[in-house]
Amino acid sequence: MSAPRPLLRGRRKAVNALALGLASLATLLGLVVLVWILGTTLIHGAAALGPHLITQMTPPPGAAGGLANAIFGSTMLVLVAVLVGAPIGVLAGTHLAEYGRARPFAELVRFVNDILLSAPSVVIGLFVYQIVVRPSGHFSGWAGAVALGFILLPVVVRTTDETMRLVPISLREATLALGAPKWRMITQVIYPAARVGILTGLLLGIARISGETAPLLFTALNNQYWSMDLGHPLANVPVVIFQFALSPYDSWHSLAWAGALLLTVFVLVVSVLARTLLRGRTN
Amino acid sequence: MRQQMVPGGGPEAAARSAPAAVPEAGPRVSIEALDFYYGETQALRGITLALPERQVTGMIGPSGCGKSTLLRVLNRMYDLYPNQRASGRVLMDGENIIGPDVDVNALRRRVGMVFQRPTPFPMSIYENIAFGVRLHERLSRAEMDERVEWSLTRAALWEEVKDRLRNAAGGLSGGQQQRLCIARSIAVRPEVILLDEPTSALDPISTLRIEELIDELKRDFTIAIVTHNMQQAARVADQVAFFYLGELVEAGPSAQIFTAPHERRTQEYITGRFG
Amino acid sequence: MAHAGARGDSIFGGLALAATAFVLLVLAGIALSTLIGGWPAFARFGASFVARTAWDPVQRDFGALVPIYGTIVTAVLSMLLAVPIAFGIAIFLTEVAPRPLAGPISAAIELLAGIPSIIYGMWGLFVFVPFMADWVDPWLAASLGRLPVLGALFSGPPLGLGMLTAGIILGVMVVPFVAAVMRDVFTLVPSALRESAFALGATRWEVVWHVVLPYTRTAVVGGIFLGLGRALGETMAVTFVLGNAHDFNLSLLAPSTSIAAAIANEFTEADSATYLSALIALGFILFVVTFIVLVFAKLLLLRLARQAGR
Repeated sequence: MSAPRPLLRGRRKAVNALALGLASLATLLGLVVLVWILGTTLIHGAAALGPHLITQMTPPPGAAGGLANAIFGSTMLVLVAVLVGAPIGVLAGTHLAEYGRARPFAELVRFVNDILLSAPSVVIGLFVYQIVVRPSGHFSGWAGAVALGFILLPVVVRTTDETMRLVPISLREATLALGAPKWRMITQVIYPAARVGILTGLLLGIARISGETAPLLFTALNNQYWSMDLGHPLANVPVVIFQFALSPYDSWHSLAWAGALLLTVFVLVVSVLARTLLRGRTN
Repeated sequence: MRQQMVPGGGPEAAARSAPAAVPEAGPRVSIEALDFYYGETQALRGITLALPERQVTGMIGPSGCGKSTLLRVLNRMYDLYPNQRASGRVLMDGENIIGPDVDVNALRRRVGMVFQRPTPFPMSIYENIAFGVRLHERLSRAEMDERVEWSLTRAALWEEVKDRLRNAAGGLSGGQQQRLCIARSIAVRPEVILLDEPTSALDPISTLRIEELIDELKRDFTIAIVTHNMQQAARVADQVAFFYLGELVEAGPSAQIFTAPHERRTQEYITGRFG
Repeated sequence: MAHAGARGDSIFGGLALAATAFVLLVLAGIALSTLIGGWPAFARFGASFVARTAWDPVQRDFGALVPIYGTIVTAVLSMLLAVPIAFGIAIFLTEVAPRPLAGPISAAIELLAGIPSIIYGMWGLFVFVPFMADWVDPWLAASLGRLPVLGALFSGPPLGLGMLTAGIILGVMVVPFVAAVMRDVFTLVPSALRESAFALGATRWEVVWHVVLPYTRTAVVGGIFLGLGRALGETMAVTFVLGNAHDFNLSLLAPSTSIAAAIANEFTEADSATYLSALIALGFILFVVTFIVLVFAKLLLLRLARQAGR
């Protein structure tokens, strides 16, 4: 056997350096785009910030105004979506982790849930249009909240299932050894033990649905005026951004940027919070 | 004398304490011809053993000999796992507790268990104790306070935690957590306490405290302890049972087992020739 | 005392089971409701619905080919861009970056995945479209546009809008998803395998290319398909920059539309039952296509998870 020729070794080193260099470049590119997008949103959005955003309603075409009704509407939509989606999601996750485990039915639901997790939100909007808006005859805040709830649901199911399965078996045995029925073990011991993970999932879900726009176009629609009635079309930040950004008016563009900044900051703060919680748990 | 030690007892406790007038009233639990299977694998073969009332029975033997399995039969812990099953009889008060009609939750109140590693629940020290009690009894606030203090005192933990009962139990040291788990078990006033290698995760000083505690507790409870540590078995057990490959090789008073075992395999194990 | 917890157990267990069944119901509901809603269009135009380019709300004559074509082209373009970049990022994070750097960069990439798609859309419309119109489109038309066959793809006025722009923005959106999956599967490679390759004198790149990648191949493809599923169904990021034109045009620089963009743009304007039904039928097609892609992706990912013994 002869030793490898120096030339070959040099070539391999060069290929290695080139490949790893390109990989680093790709990462740099990703970071540049992140900074570019966040920077643009920050610069345009900050210029449009002001107290008027929360004191004034969305304006008629070309006029000045704020986002008060849209911010309120978005808050309501997310809140109702969480109130509807979270309990169902936690219960379903509970079934998967505590009752289903590795049975075929549970595996099927996990599979389907992962599909739902990536399903196009625009189609979920159509689904809610068909089952809520069409039968009731009009767009409504309720329909928007239901659509967001369907998007939240799989996020909560998955994180609940995963974190509950991480709770050590010894804790379950210790609880049952005291003579506790299973439901009390779950509600009083497993939930507290898994609460950080479940909360993280909920926060990630909230971050996800806060920016959802497409499904609201066919459900909550939009409303130029102040309305607290979820039975009617409801203003919300994402749809306002969509409509105002595509308009020809500068004042509307400026409001769209302000909305975009508020939305981005909210979503990023919530996701960072979720990740911090998660890290606190694993340490 | 029993109802004095168990506050919030009422007539039920008084009734149960009646036979206690005789200190050594024969077996509290009688295991008869017990077989146990993990799926296809047989883990216990024809075990017959009695746990005498208010005595400590030590179960020893090499890893995988079935001693922990036996413990988990006595409170039906194996019910959690669908492919595990037991046959034979385990009698408590004449009732076969491995029979199909047994209320497992009620059984587990009568037969408490402490595990190898401390298992504090994710709640306060106080709630760790109160949780188990609330499963089976409705107590007033004052009665519950009294019960918590009683069980923590019996577990030799009260003095250390009385000022921080509302703190999370996870903040206690390993040895304290294990005593908390013992307190939690006795708070529901069981008749039998199963200890599954309760000191294997603890330092020597904590181990000593738990052993002293076991000695103290046998005045009220029938105790079964699984241990790897033969000195520990010699120190705490009144009766010792030696298991090997799923069979009970022999059982007898500690002094006899450790000084003059009948069986050669026992002799070899306690002198460290295998296991 | 007998069976005190049994009732609580059956109530709680029943609720949990019902919630679980609900998850299945949602998926079935999405498929069924869009099929029913789109049925009039399917019935009226038949199977040729997916093969016709007509889109005439006035004559109530609809075909799905242009949006289907736009969806596929933009998704494929996005994957051409996203896959190499995501692969690079995953290699960087698992093989190159020093530990204190890998954590924050990983987090930053995940933040990129968390930004709402409407923000990408706005950024695309106000920043990236002018950039494309001023710099990229004219240059492409002047160079590639002059080539004989390929030129058709790069012809037309430099509007900045169109399938190329949409594909690039989709690609940017999809990168973090694919990169995160690749990073996760790369860490599943047993370290003994990696180390024995290093012990033979392999360079880092050779370890990645000859050991890590073959070991994780199915899952990497799964991650790519997961990204493709996202790209196919993404709405807001492309709606802003596609131009919403139903004319069939080969050029990547010309305005076009996609299924999701057509639904988002036109749904509230649909003034006839047929129009509405055609849009919902588009939704059904989109659902079926993404469903197939996602199932395929999940199956590939599951295979590696089994192999790694999770």
